[in-house]
Amino acid sequence: MDQDNKEKSGPDAMFAEWMKAASDFWLSAAKTAPFGGLKVPENVQTSAAGYAGRMEEGWEALLKMWQTSASALSSPQTLESLLKGITASPEAAMRIARTTWDGYSQLHQMWLKHAGKLGEASKAYDFEGLQPDTFKEWTAFYEKDIQPFLKMPQVGLARLYQERGNDAVDKFANYQVAIGEFLKLLNIPVEKSLHEMEEKIVELAKEGKLPENFKDYYNIWIKSLEGHYMTLFKLPEYVECLGKTMNASQDYKVAREKVLIDLLQILPVPTNRDMNELYKEFYVLKKKVKAMAKKIEKSESLT
Amino acid sequence: MNQSGIPVDLILGKLAEDVEKSQERILKSKEVLLGPLETDIATTPCEIVYEEDRVKLKHYLPLTETKVKTPMLMVYALINRETMLDLQPQRSVVQNILKEGIDLYMIDWGYPTAMDRYLTIDDHVNGYLDNAVDFIRRRHGIPKVNLMGICMGGSFSIMYSALHPEKIKNLITTVTPSNFDTDKSLLNIWVKAIDPDRVVETYGNMPGDVMNMGFLLLNPPRLMLDKYVGYFEKVDDKVFVENFIRMEKWIFDSPDVPGETFRQFIVDCFQKNLLIQSKMELDGKRVDLQNIMMPVLNVYGRFDHLVPPAAAELLTSRVGSKDTEDLCLETGHIGIYVSAKCQKELAPKIAGWLKERDGSEAEAVASPPPLSDKPKIGASPKSRPASTKRKK
Repeated sequence: MDQDNKEKSGPDAMFAEWMKAASDFWLSAAKTAPFGGLKVPENVQTSAAGYAGRMEEGWEALLKMWQTSASALSSPQTLESLLKGITASPEAAMRIARTTWDGYSQLHQMWLKHAGKLGEASKAYDFEGLQPDTFKEWTAFYEKDIQPFLKMPQVGLARLYQERGNDAVDKFANYQVAIGEFLKLLNIPVEKSLHEMEEKIVELAKEGKLPENFKDYYNIWIKSLEGHYMTLFKLPEYVECLGKTMNASQDYKVAREKVLIDLLQILPVPTNRDMNELYKEFYVLKKKVKAMAKKIEKSESLT
Repeated sequence: MNQSGIPVDLILGKLAEDVEKSQERILKSKEVLLGPLETDIATTPCEIVYEEDRVKLKHYLPLTETKVKTPMLMVYALINRETMLDLQPQRSVVQNILKEGIDLYMIDWGYPTAMDRYLTIDDHVNGYLDNAVDFIRRRHGIPKVNLMGICMGGSFSIMYSALHPEKIKNLITTVTPSNFDTDKSLLNIWVKAIDPDRVVETYGNMPGDVMNMGFLLLNPPRLMLDKYVGYFEKVDDKVFVENFIRMEKWIFDSPDVPGETFRQFIVDCFQKNLLIQSKMELDGKRVDLQNIMMPVLNVYGRFDHLVPPAAAELLTSRVGSKDTEDLCLETGHIGIYVSAKCQKELAPKIAGWLKERDGSEAEAVASPPPLSDKPKIGASPKSRPASTKRKK
């Protein structure tokens, strides 16, 4: 029984469910597709009609192919045999695939859980429990199951380049999480102001004071939105998240530029690093010359 | 009215009216937006009289007879451009000051490039600013000039006046941060979370666009949404559109800030609050506010969200001078220069205050060195019409 439940709720079963859902979606999409219901006007030239017809055929063929492969893949047994069938592939690749899928499913569950909370009542200017666990859990998952692959020691002639490439990927992933979390925070006042707006409208309706002008509603909302932002911006959690996002963005920029410098080195152009060294030298020299010029000027004015 | 008590029919009716009006407005706006618009900023005639690296010294042509003998040098911030003081003829601090009979110079900091990343505050204060002051002293044959600083430029002016008090006759600071230990401004709160070393290592110079993004985040509903809703509502009004575009031109004309200057300003001022404690050092020389013995006029805005009164008002109690005055205007950081009300207040106040202190001290220097004989290295005394255009 437990085994059955596990199979039904495990990642493989979820994959099958997703495939089925996707298949159903495209099936219904196909029914309403522009080509399915396309009626070529009589006055349109034959070539245009022919083109539309070919598009329709192509669309149907694609859909059939998708249905076939989707139905084949959607059973967990097939998935199992498929995975068994590619044991010739490197084990690491298999692990990454499996782990990524596990991670995705965990993330999906977290999102669903979080989405369920969205409708809950919201108190004005109350920002308790700001940071959704989603990002923390994703970070934990990423650090445990993905990052180690990127941090794996590299060997061979190109090891430094590989290392820098992996580092850029790693920093990009960190940046994505940080910016996601930051944008999520920025979205909270919008959610809260909309909830507050709803409540305000109900309140005004009860009092019979509902404004008739649309701009009045906008003014109520923008004032509430501004208030929520002002509250959010002073919170230590926000300041921390802002700092984290900036750091992640800067780390990614630095890592990306290191890769670019590697690429630029094969071209006959100076890199940022080269230019910075030059600027520094130029700055020091210029400062010395200016100081000397001032001294000369002073001594000349004395004589 | 429906069951819930919400007059949906009325609201929808009004909405329909609004949509119709918007449509009319859009049609009319086509004539405005596609027609000729006057959106030039910084149009008051001036000439470039001195240049050093990227920095230029502008001298404005007088609009009336000189009523204040000592010329005044205006120092704007490194963030955004000095063009804000001359947005349009009817809203120009520059023109109002000229009309009061003040001989006016202004530093144009230019657009720092990657080559400028190692320039420190010392290079700006004891380098460019000092050279500009010396140039004006020599040109007019006077020992001292009046100095007016704006925002970060005001902080630089405080530092300069403390280090070179013998060259400054009167000091005016407007919306100038001197005390950074306050949580009344979001900027002060946020900056503490920034790692300036990392920022400078990453970007070199602090990018103007990144700073602008930060300023927009101070109030996204108003600055990123409501402002443009207001614009759309009056998009068929030519004069409004012209003024709006002028302001947009100024706001998003943001030069980068030289990396080392940014690092020092964040660490020494924002994070350690050294300036107001007279502990800040420029190239090993301590900025002692007690050295500021000249008269000081300190102007700030009660509703300033960037430099709140708490950040500005301490200055007069920390300087050595006994002739100090605080002036708190009922406005914000930008309103002090652009609002119609402050336009009427600020320039006359400054002129009146300077006239009272103009005295006889503006006597000629015994034998000022002839300018043409003493050009600075990398500097060029010049006299040519100023270009107000952005870098290419």
